[in-house]
Amino acid sequence: MFRLQGSKTLAVDLTGDGVKAKNGSMVAYDGRMTFKKLSGGGEGLRGMVTRRLTGEQMTVMEVSGQGTCYFADRASEINLVALHGDKLYVEASNLLATDAGLRTGTTFTGLRGGASGNGLFTTTVEGTGQAAIMSDGAAVLLRVTPQYPLMVDPGAYIAHQGNLQQHFQAGVNFRTLMGEGSGEAFQIRFEGDGLVYVQPSERNTVGGDV
Amino acid sequence: MPFREINSKMIEATVAPGQKLFSQRGAMLAYRGEVSFTPNIQGGQGGFASMIGRRVTGEATPLMTVEGSGTVMFGHGGHHIQVINLAGDTLYVEADRLLAFDGTLQQGTMFMGSQGGVMGMVRGQVTGQGLFTTTLKGHGAVAVMAHGGVIELPITPGRDVHVDPQAYVAHHGEVRNKLSTAVGWRDMVGRGSGEAFQLELSGNGAVYVQASEEKL
Repeated sequence: MFRLQGSKTLAVDLTGDGVKAKNGSMVAYDGRMTFKKLSGGGEGLRGMVTRRLTGEQMTVMEVSGQGTCYFADRASEINLVALHGDKLYVEASNLLATDAGLRTGTTFTGLRGGASGNGLFTTTVEGTGQAAIMSDGAAVLLRVTPQYPLMVDPGAYIAHQGNLQQHFQAGVNFRTLMGEGSGEAFQIRFEGDGLVYVQPSERNTVGGDV
Repeated sequence: MPFREINSKMIEATVAPGQKLFSQRGAMLAYRGEVSFTPNIQGGQGGFASMIGRRVTGEATPLMTVEGSGTVMFGHGGHHIQVINLAGDTLYVEADRLLAFDGTLQQGTMFMGSQGGVMGMVRGQVTGQGLFTTTLKGHGAVAVMAHGGVIELPITPGRDVHVDPQAYVAHHGEVRNKLSTAVGWRDMVGRGSGEAFQLELSGNGAVYVQASEEKL
């Protein structure tokens, strides 16, 4: 029921069911809709504590009703992801909307998060259904297999799914310390079997400056 | 129609002798042929009174008149451009979103309060559009700018469309618009869904919505 209207607008047809979307991202709708604020990071008191501690507080609203609702955010490109019981890891700022049936949570990412400019925590989406993620420019989908690990610039990483292990790798050498670095001092290394979404643009990161 | 889309951010207009074209000043990118660009102090057509009207209402954008014979390319600020063809109906659009339009179209200024009364005025304030908006009427083409792509949503009787005021670009046809509020107690305590105000458009026509909530 998620469809793309152009590459930058997400249209969701609702027939009495609901969808979770980034707060304030609705641009238009027809039919009857109600908007209610939720908060990310899981449900209940535990979710609230998690949000406070992790700073990964994506404010989410639940949209329900009948008709078609259109979402867009700052003219970002939108990518649809179908989940079949697997887990999607995505930066909270890149998640636009998910099916109401999908569970969202927060996980610790370690050192990588600090370097990618997104904090130490990331959002997970789990279950069966569809999710829409945003990227600055059209994202490419790169496959990782056990034989072919993938290195990604922390600023260009937006999401990944599948059975992947991630390590943070640094290429700091003498030149970097002298201020003659190539601007590619840090990478995230993905190993295993899965998919990584990369955007053709880089957020401002610590790694990008050295 | 005089406008041809080259890509999503550039249009090409054909001018022939005797045909006039208005465009936002400085929006010309390139041209072929013998084309002259005259700054239009009046900010459009309609004589001196209309000029005063536009100045007073803040709907005056620096326009220029494009005349001659040849082709002209327009683009501005990397914004997406949507060409809207009018067949006798009226287009309502903010003056600063106008990139170029046919000289045959009748330009006017509309007071928001005249549609929707006090709520219309509140609407202008809430959406940051001010109390006045520009209207274009007749047969011809208009090029409108928007941040991100534009989608066109049809409005038919019995099928109202609600639009986020910040994402609203323009509308045409026999459309009534009013500001609808869904301000609940959640908004009062700062737990709103960010969708407290919406424009409710009903009637017969179409509304253009941009894929972003940023103003130009």
